[in-house]
Amino acid sequence: MPHSMFGRSIRIGLLLGIRQIQRASIWTTILIIFVMMLTFLNLIAVSGVLVGLITGAERAVRAESLGDIIISERDDEDRILETEAVVRELNSFPEIESYAVRYSGAGTLEANYKERRDLSGERDIASVSVTGIDPTQEDIMSNLSSTLVEGEYLEPDEEGYILLGAYYVSQYAEQFGDIFDTVDDVHPGDTVRLTSGDISKEFIIKGIIQSKVDEVSLNTYIPEREFRRLFGRIDRNADLIVIRVRDDANEQAVKDALVASGLDRLAKIQTFDEGKPKFITDIKNTMNLLGTFIGSIGIVVASITIFIIIFINALSRRRHIGILKGIGIERRAIEFAYIIQAAFYALAGSALGALATYGFLVPYFEANPIQFPFSDGVLVAPPDETFIRFVVLFITTLIAGFIPAWMIARQNTLNSILGRK
Amino acid sequence: MALIEGTNIHRKFGKGDLVTHVLKGIDISIEEGEFVAIMGKSGAGKSTLMYQLSALDEPTEGKIVVDGTDVVPLDESERTAFRLNTLGYVFQDYALVPDLNARENVMMPLLMRGMSWEEATTRADHSLDNVGLEGKYLNLPGELSGGEQQRVAVARALSGKPKIIFADEPTANLDSVSGQSVIDLLTRLHRESKQTIVMVTHEPEYAEPCDRIIHMEDGKITNIKSRT
Repeated sequence: MPHSMFGRSIRIGLLLGIRQIQRASIWTTILIIFVMMLTFLNLIAVSGVLVGLITGAERAVRAESLGDIIISERDDEDRILETEAVVRELNSFPEIESYAVRYSGAGTLEANYKERRDLSGERDIASVSVTGIDPTQEDIMSNLSSTLVEGEYLEPDEEGYILLGAYYVSQYAEQFGDIFDTVDDVHPGDTVRLTSGDISKEFIIKGIIQSKVDEVSLNTYIPEREFRRLFGRIDRNADLIVIRVRDDANEQAVKDALVASGLDRLAKIQTFDEGKPKFITDIKNTMNLLGTFIGSIGIVVASITIFIIIFINALSRRRHIGILKGIGIERRAIEFAYIIQAAFYALAGSALGALATYGFLVPYFEANPIQFPFSDGVLVAPPDETFIRFVVLFITTLIAGFIPAWMIARQNTLNSILGRK
Repeated sequence: MALIEGTNIHRKFGKGDLVTHVLKGIDISIEEGEFVAIMGKSGAGKSTLMYQLSALDEPTEGKIVVDGTDVVPLDESERTAFRLNTLGYVFQDYALVPDLNARENVMMPLLMRGMSWEEATTRADHSLDNVGLEGKYLNLPGELSGGEQQRVAVARALSGKPKIIFADEPTANLDSVSGQSVIDLLTRLHRESKQTIVMVTHEPEYAEPCDRIIHMEDGKITNIKSRT
């Protein structure tokens, strides 16, 4: 039995609040809960979609380019030292599902030179990034072959073939205007010339690849042996090793184990989160802030809605409030009854909103991402952030419910009973 | 000492030139166990006097001691607690909470006093039985007749076993049969348990069972009749 006056007030407020909800018009209740649900969705979904744009891009980079763990050159070195020793060490880790060793360089790509009649005319050239890969290893790690839009993927051990990123090919890049440096109208089977310094080599285009990950679409891929010859990389030291860990493995634990094995003497080892460009995190935070700001407007609107509803409700029961006070019911019990109502609307609306978010929207956008030019946007709604937003919405709603109840309940008891101003 | 002792009670409304002097220096004394009717024409100040005596309003001037407590200096929260623990009310238009059933309406002041839910339920049902509403515990006010609603209000006033019941024209909204049954109910309670009751009414026949009838006119007591 609650002995304190506060406990008694809570108990009576609970009874009054529950009964008022039970006896209220079902349609009004549904409408209010619907408004609260939309407010919740506005708060969660707007920032969720904005952050989801970047998260979609981030996921794609992880899946198609950088993997879970990134090994790159130490800050005081140009390349990964003793790359072959590093690779041998990687092979001893059962948690590592796959890895790809990459060699990076920059060169000049020339096309259509055999058809060129006017030697004084402009050459069809583009400055390109070149990546030397083991085609099999790379495909297992990044599924590079899945990004082909024309032609075929590189076969192991074959030489003289190149994969061109679509943004270096005019017919694919023209949608972006003149942003990218391109060669005109080339297709698989055409011959191009790749030059690095004084060394040039002809390649037959094996395929054209296109992805929403710029590191893929703005790249050219050739077999690593030819890369080393073209770029004079006789030391066999690579620029990048990207690693995919098994689903049940923890990338941080694997990274720590790699460091513990001494590989950090030869290279810099980072998880994807550590190694991803800082601007991605900055953009995500900015989007989150923007979404929160837009969602806050929804909270203000919902608060005003609740305020008006509770105010009208309390005003229409002003006489009963006076009578309750007259027979000795504490004012805070009456105020608490209205807080209970506001809490009910906020809880019911948020519960439905959470159900819609996690039961429908998140799975739906996972299965059907929003197609943006630079990413496949998903809905990001981490439970901890959702909970914090819910708490903000809940507390705001309680305040919005309390203020009108307080305004009415604090009026003179007799004036309320008699309907006097 | 009398259960209610009011001395030089004044009540004014408004400000400046618009001041209305409703109670003009009332002295009143009501003993424990008395059934007192306050009568008078509309505007005589009878309800206003009852509001002062029942700690629902504050007099502009004067002293009111109820059950040994000077109620005038009490703040709002102290008045609320005082009303809860000492007084019971029957208002003229039943004044029940429409969302609560008959039992819950009666339970309200009991729960506020700290009684357990089970104890309050038992007491409420007993009070409703006592006013002839057996089996109507779960009816909402809207499902009861005017007379029945007023009986629920009487049951609510009685359930806490208050020292004094104040009834403000409890028959005003009832037909003559229902009105008489409410008066009979109050009379029975007074007779059986010597409950102190202060009732405002303008119907002389409803005041007949009272021990004393206080007549008011223009904010003053003009006549006091005791039943012999």
